[in-house]
Amino acid sequence: MRDVIAAPLAGLDLRQHYGHHQSPAIRAGGLIFCSGMLPIDPRTGERCHGTLTSEAHVIFGNLKLLLDSAGSSLDRLVQVHALIYDSIEYDVLNRVYRQYVANGPPARTVWAAQIEAGFKVELDVIAAA
Amino acid sequence: MTAKREILSPPAAAPGTAPAAPASMAVRGGAFIFVSGLVAIDPQTGERRPGTTASETRQILTNLRQLLEAAGSSLDRVVKVNVLLHSMLEAPNMNEIYARFFPEPPPARTVCGARLPDGVKVIIECTALA
Repeated sequence: MRDVIAAPLAGLDLRQHYGHHQSPAIRAGGLIFCSGMLPIDPRTGERCHGTLTSEAHVIFGNLKLLLDSAGSSLDRLVQVHALIYDSIEYDVLNRVYRQYVANGPPARTVWAAQIEAGFKVELDVIAAA
Repeated sequence: MTAKREILSPPAAAPGTAPAAPASMAVRGGAFIFVSGLVAIDPQTGERRPGTTASETRQILTNLRQLLEAAGSSLDRVVKVNVLLHSMLEAPNMNEIYARFFPEPPPARTVCGARLPDGVKVIIECTALA
């Protein structure tokens, strides 16, 4: 059984706004697999470029919206891949990351990669359904 | 509780073809099939098929479809795909071919640019329901 999690707000439908051939998230086998989360205004779909910190705040806000709408939550994250544009910002990521996964944080890997549209951070997550 | 872990061999591997890396192409574990990052290869000979981002994407997804179907799964049971590109400028070229392979509704996906080994332009890995 494989269910699509629809975008809870129109701006989070990256397919509609940017033509990405992807669903916002898929529920399967007791897990929720989210597409790469980006700093996008959840109402308008506009890109919210900024510092790594400001981008990460927008991303966690969007992730919360998406997981809550799917009946999950940030407390139920299982695994996170955090992509950042430069590993020099690792400590900066941790500072903001900590505010959202205070208790029993999920498994995580961080690495530097080229992120679409020149964003500074992207989160690729799996949560318990 | 012990869940089974089963190595899935590539469907059309030529006899005697040694795997290029110390990795299985796919492993079934629990409800899922985990597929290694695939590069564009000729499925008969196992040899690299270097080309454009578009042609490598097409070759990889053709091989992926065959691999999943041989394992009793299929592209419409894929839940998550990770695409690694040698340059994010090539994302539209990948996306156009990609959209032709995955039936509605498409799986969740993450695309990023990374330094890939050996001149490879595209790597695609995925998780599918078994």
